[in-house]
Amino acid sequence: MLKTISIRLFTSLLVILGSLVLVFVIVYLLPGDPVLSMVDPSTVTPEVLASLRAQLGVDRPLYEQFGSYVSKVLQGDFGKSIVNDEPVLPKIITHLPATLALTAASCFIAAVVGIWLGVLSAIHRDRWIDITARVVGLFGISMPTFWSGILLILIFSITLDWFPAMGSEGWKTLVLPAVGLGIVGAGFVVRLVRNSMLEVINEPFIVTLRAKGVAEKLVMYRHALRNALIPALTMIGVLSGELLAGTVVIETVFSRQGIGRVISDALMAKDLPVVQGVVFFSAIMYVIINLIVDLSYRMIDPRVRRSQ
Amino acid sequence: MLKKRNNWKTIIALTTALVLVLSGCAGTNKASNTDKNASPAATTDAATAAAPAKGGELTYALATSPDTLDPHRSGLAVAVRAIRTIHDNLVAQLPDGTIQPWLATEWAVSEDGLSYTFKLRQDVKFHDGTPFNAEAVKYNYDRILNPETKAANSAALIRPYKSADVIDEFTVKLNLETPSNAFLGNLSQALVSIVSPTAAQKYGDQLGKNPVGTGPFKFVSWEENSQITVERNPDYKWAPPLVANQEAPYLDKVIFKIAPEEATRIGSVQSGQVLAGETIPPQNILALEKDEKLQLFKSNTQGLPYTLFINENKAPWNELKARQALQAAIDVDAIVKTLYLGTYDRAWSPLTPGTFGYDKSLEGGVKPDLDKANALLDELGYVKGADGVRAKDGKKLTLHYVDGSPNREKRNDIAAIIQQQLKQIGIAVEVEITKDVRTVVYENGNYDIYGNSQVNSDPEALRSFYHSGAVSVGANQNLPGFKNAEVDGWIDQGLIEKDETKRQELYAKVQQAIIEQAVIIPIYVFPYTIAASKTVKDIKFDSLAYPLFNDAFIQK
Repeated sequence: MLKTISIRLFTSLLVILGSLVLVFVIVYLLPGDPVLSMVDPSTVTPEVLASLRAQLGVDRPLYEQFGSYVSKVLQGDFGKSIVNDEPVLPKIITHLPATLALTAASCFIAAVVGIWLGVLSAIHRDRWIDITARVVGLFGISMPTFWSGILLILIFSITLDWFPAMGSEGWKTLVLPAVGLGIVGAGFVVRLVRNSMLEVINEPFIVTLRAKGVAEKLVMYRHALRNALIPALTMIGVLSGELLAGTVVIETVFSRQGIGRVISDALMAKDLPVVQGVVFFSAIMYVIINLIVDLSYRMIDPRVRRSQ
Repeated sequence: MLKKRNNWKTIIALTTALVLVLSGCAGTNKASNTDKNASPAATTDAATAAAPAKGGELTYALATSPDTLDPHRSGLAVAVRAIRTIHDNLVAQLPDGTIQPWLATEWAVSEDGLSYTFKLRQDVKFHDGTPFNAEAVKYNYDRILNPETKAANSAALIRPYKSADVIDEFTVKLNLETPSNAFLGNLSQALVSIVSPTAAQKYGDQLGKNPVGTGPFKFVSWEENSQITVERNPDYKWAPPLVANQEAPYLDKVIFKIAPEEATRIGSVQSGQVLAGETIPPQNILALEKDEKLQLFKSNTQGLPYTLFINENKAPWNELKARQALQAAIDVDAIVKTLYLGTYDRAWSPLTPGTFGYDKSLEGGVKPDLDKANALLDELGYVKGADGVRAKDGKKLTLHYVDGSPNREKRNDIAAIIQQQLKQIGIAVEVEITKDVRTVVYENGNYDIYGNSQVNSDPEALRSFYHSGAVSVGANQNLPGFKNAEVDGWIDQGLIEKDETKRQELYAKVQQAIIEQAVIIPIYVFPYTIAASKTVKDIKFDSLAYPLFNDAFIQK
């Protein structure tokens, strides 16, 4: 067990390092001159451009730029924003909690709603409840979040005035964006749980349990669901990455603070140090979540443990 | 100004009298007689205009995140909305273009136009207690020139400022490299407003997160991507003549909420979650006009309207006839009416109405005329092929139309309409929507048509777009690739001409030449539009359409 964990930790570290290289190269390959985006091109002089290039270090060869970037990152220095000289690390740390809260809340909604509907729909296969759950699932998957977000605002904020349409203070502002993002995840989970439940229900051990006279509820929720949940858990790990990416859109729609907003603004302004910092942090978060999922998966399913 | 203030007092007095009479508590016969004797106009005023209510927080939804609140470093209009509340300028420009005192009480310009001597107000203090004086003015303008400040638009605005001499505590002389008629107007712009020298030294490059000025509101906090809060400066008594209230503002606070999503922003105004929201798109303007709880504040921006520049460095657009064909085939009225539903004004000139020197005679001059457009292209030897596209020597007549993304003010839709309109005369328009306008347009010069606009206080703004010496694209051309010695001369003369009438004539000639030679297709004048609850009163605008909250109050 310890060995497995340390191997997984080591590969995670490699992934993080790889993402560091990737982040650097992708940003380097982006079209457009970051220096030109800092100035008004109709009035700038060549001297100013040259001095800005030197300041940013973009006039040096690529490997030198990368070397100095990595050594700085290792010291916790992610540089300063090109736009307003704000240090990148504190900026990310300010915005991270809001995004984490949103990701966690929407993950929770996706899991609870998804599993519940998935089980119901498997139990009542081909009845109206199943059809409804499948439609809801399809709806969740196919609706773009910017649209469902606006719809939620229209209904629950503007018309009913239950929740605020914007902001990031207090739990009330979290509800609508978490639902908007959670529906997407729930859509995926419903389908997955339904399918694996249907598979498990037809397994011989379920027949045995029923033959022994175990209560149907117990059969479903204790025995069938536990087995059906394993693929869903993996799914949630992958999903957390999707949801993290989804925050870019949903944070904009709901005017929330968060690193999704930070990176979309930074990309627009070609604020490279900020882009690099946020992408790198997102990579780390994704790796950590998947590490946790991976390890818990091994704990829940004895077969995985035994196979090693 | 004094007169205006007296008006206010009269109105307040009359309102009070009216209320007393109507409520019947202290109303004697004599009082009601006086009331009857009051002029009808004043009575109506008193009945409709409520006295400003003190206090309250105005929530105001902005369309994007400001980059910085350091006026000298900002390049975004949205930042100026907040910057304007915190900072003041030496002078103010009124909507009629005249320059009026603000932090400076009077000024004199030397005979050669190379030095401006300002007398400053002596009772002004920055929010951090630093006294405002000649040293502070010198520090500010030198700060903009200093490359370490990384000044953005302010560096262009302060040009040709060279140095400042402190004559005495409240007299400062600004020295210029060359004379410039645009200088005073530029000094009125929020981007060259005055920051506290103490704060600038203390915070260095972080001043943008800790702005300190002399303005009607003090900076409180900026939660990034969420909100910016400013609070009343109780000591304020140096308001510009743009507003009626010369004292501290009525509002306790203005809270700028950052709400980039249009539907959220407008929905929040409709539901009353915020009291005001900016940048309202045309289709919503029509809907909001019918909403009984809401009102719209609108102010047309000044400077250069949204203009399509035809790149003369690309054949065949170097030919006057080819450009005139575009001018005759593009139906600007149809575009503006279709897309903006009558909420935007159509532009006729390289300048917007209201900008000094605007030539009204150009209005109605260019009319859509497909026959003329076709004839011009026939003359150039372009013949329509089987696919309806014209060609000459085997080369098809195409037009590379570049526009930026995101689709700001529906500009991408203009491209689509023009594509249809030019198809009628056999020009195949290839529309390229790019996120990277800087590379495509400004670095590589790879466009036949590209559109842009600029908010500015003086017709000198024409220089960076039409003077042959202004190189903004690649290494050797301005945006339209326009080179004309006569126009260069008029623009140069316009910068130094002292006689206002003559200056006006010079700019009229520039505008006429640009339209006659079909250098551009002016499209629309952008109106800055705010939707607000009806309880919000008296948001005013400066001459560049930035909101002023000195007079604003919330009716209880």
